[in-house]
Amino acid sequence: MELRLNNLTKQFGDFTAVDHVSLTMSSGVYGLLGVNGAGKTTLMRMICTLLRPTGGQILCGGRDIFKLDGDYRKILGYLPQDFGFYPEFTVKDYLLYVSALKGLRPAVAKRRVRELAEGVGLSKHLNKKMKKLSGGMKRRAGIAQAMLNDPKILVLDEPTAGLDPNERIRFRNLISELSEDRLVLLSTHIVSDVEYIANEILLMGEGKILHQGTADELIDSMPERVWKCRAEKSEVPALMKKYRVSNIRSEAHGAELRIISGEKPSTDAVPEEAALEDVFLYYFGEKGVDDSALI
Amino acid sequence: MLLYELKKVLGKTVNKVALLLLLAALVIVSTLAIGGVSYTEPDGSSISGMAAARQLEKVKKQWEGYITEDVLRAVIEANDAVNQSPEYQSDDVTENNMAYSRKQGFSDIREMLNQAFSDFQTYDYFRADSLSPEDAGAFYGKRAASLREWLDSEEMKDQFTENEKQYLIRHYEEMETPVYYTYADGWETLLTYTDTMIMLIVLITGFLVSGIFPGEFSLKADSVYFSSRFGRNRGVRAKIGAGILLISVIYWGTMLLYTGIMLFALGVGGGSCVIQTGLGGWKSFYNITFFQKYLLSVMGGYVGSLFILSLAMLISAKTRSAVLAVTVPFIVLFIPSFLSGVNPLTKVLGLLPDQLLQISSVINQFSLYELGGKVISSVPILLVLYSCLCVIIIPWTYQICHRIQDR
Ligand SMILES: Nc1ncnc2c1ncn2[C@@H]1O[C@H](COP(=O)(O)OP(=O)(O)OP(=O)(O)O)[C@@H](O)[C@H]1O
Ligand SMILES: [Mg+2]
Repeated sequence: MELRLNNLTKQFGDFTAVDHVSLTMSSGVYGLLGVNGAGKTTLMRMICTLLRPTGGQILCGGRDIFKLDGDYRKILGYLPQDFGFYPEFTVKDYLLYVSALKGLRPAVAKRRVRELAEGVGLSKHLNKKMKKLSGGMKRRAGIAQAMLNDPKILVLDEPTAGLDPNERIRFRNLISELSEDRLVLLSTHIVSDVEYIANEILLMGEGKILHQGTADELIDSMPERVWKCRAEKSEVPALMKKYRVSNIRSEAHGAELRIISGEKPSTDAVPEEAALEDVFLYYFGEKGVDDSALI
Repeated sequence: MLLYELKKVLGKTVNKVALLLLLAALVIVSTLAIGGVSYTEPDGSSISGMAAARQLEKVKKQWEGYITEDVLRAVIEANDAVNQSPEYQSDDVTENNMAYSRKQGFSDIREMLNQAFSDFQTYDYFRADSLSPEDAGAFYGKRAASLREWLDSEEMKDQFTENEKQYLIRHYEEMETPVYYTYADGWETLLTYTDTMIMLIVLITGFLVSGIFPGEFSLKADSVYFSSRFGRNRGVRAKIGAGILLISVIYWGTMLLYTGIMLFALGVGGGSCVIQTGLGGWKSFYNITFFQKYLLSVMGGYVGSLFILSLAMLISAKTRSAVLAVTVPFIVLFIPSFLSGVNPLTKVLGLLPDQLLQISSVINQFSLYELGGKVISSVPILLVLYSCLCVIIIPWTYQICHRIQDR
């Protein structure tokens, strides 16, 4: 299954949310990494035929997805960023309802609901009302509904948002399991979400795909180096102003800093191995450091 | 899918409350209507409700039959006899009531005399008292004659076209005389409150159907819904189906219950009498029976509800706002009554959808339209016009939801 984006553009009035994106994806996990407002959700909503592009095309197996219409949505699964549901429905009713919307025959639907509830760990909660689920369980129900039709294209918009670290790791593994034999497009602004499970990472900023490649390729693409150095507490603000600082650890007499820079920031600085997080910081500046990302 | 749509609607607390309110409204309206029927005993005391209806039926049945000149003469004489009695002329209220008690049997026919012999645009409750038995022969002729006189009067000169005037006179003359009379209080009371009942149904059902389309958006379940294979076609059809089903089941269920209660409590007789025998019906140009008037009222009410509530659903689909949609029935029902004083608008107001919900009063008005030289009364126009508009609105709603990506 090949999904090809051709000069895909979406404008809201004068504002360009997605800017001439061209991309080809086949099976595997694609991690769409970008800061808030980069255009990830807009891109994904177009891929899910919920928004019509202002320009460009999305082709699935060479055919326009808006022309394929129902035939395309038949192989699509989508977990939206702000995933809503029917609070009065039980988990089982909800999943059966989405199965009906996806055109599953009742007998098949029942089987799929049972299998998926097992798979995402919701078996015990099938008869609970949706409004009584915890945030993590809701996300699981969200994944389950996206998987009901065994989609060839699975779009997950920030599936790990709001989850605690344990839950996030479990979720990552779950997605990894589900990614076999299908195209998974996963968006996040948390580097560690995609660092290990994505076969290909797409860095998105201001509506454009800035860089793409495996984690290693992206790290290699960074023209600057990562340094570790010590500094007095009083020197820290000046350093932060001058360099991109990806981490600060307070110590008894001062601080240990992780700095991204082309030149050696201080005489005692030692070069460090770059990580994907540093790449993220390099391309997205200070904005890229999100407290929640530093786990 | 339809079942899930219904489940969504009926699962909401607001909607359960709305349905309970409708039930309460039904009970209150029926109680008021039945309680409003009263009978005065020969001793001057009065009773009301079902027992009163049984007594009234008994005394009115004595006057059952064709209202011929002889019958009218007898009524005028009987009325006069009561008027001459010491109880009638007494200053004591109880004694007056005792006198009235003896008029109840022919009170409906006396009422027709009042209407026939008063001036066309006025009503005089005591007109029958000043009639003499010789006047009885002029009774039926008076009806068309008063109409002619009224239409020829200076103030009416430009109100109707010549064709419309001919149409009215023709219909007046087409009424078969003598008319047949029997006790019909069950139907009359039923029809008196039909409009109120229909209006309450529409306003309350508005709450139930307004949330059907905006539901996914307010819950943020729209992305999953519309990115599914069938959300945009079968799903939307299920929504429309659920809306129409709710409107129909609530409407017919409530109306049947209401009709059943009223006819059970007040009696089923008299449905085949012409509406001219009823209070205020004398001047209607529609030559139909009470039962036919009832059918027109409930059919009109149904077409009207379907139109108004489909419009509310269309607006809810377009704006994705349930609140806005809930106001639609209120606007459609109440704005015209504010404008009713504006004379140039009369013709337009007569064709607004609120008219469909009050056919039983429209039937008593001279609401006529001339199209290409042909005169048509408003009721059939309303029925056809709004049935057609429903046929347009419903697919339109479908299109709005079907092409979600272009919003
Ligand atoms: N319907 C809309 N109308 C106008 N502007 C919009 C609309 N939807 C999105 N935008 C704008 O487009 C830009 C990209 O939004 P988008 O939601 O795609 O970003 P994102 O990468 O998903 O961000 P986040 O990480 O916060 O979810 C934002 O600046 C947003 O304000
Ligand atoms: Mg987003």
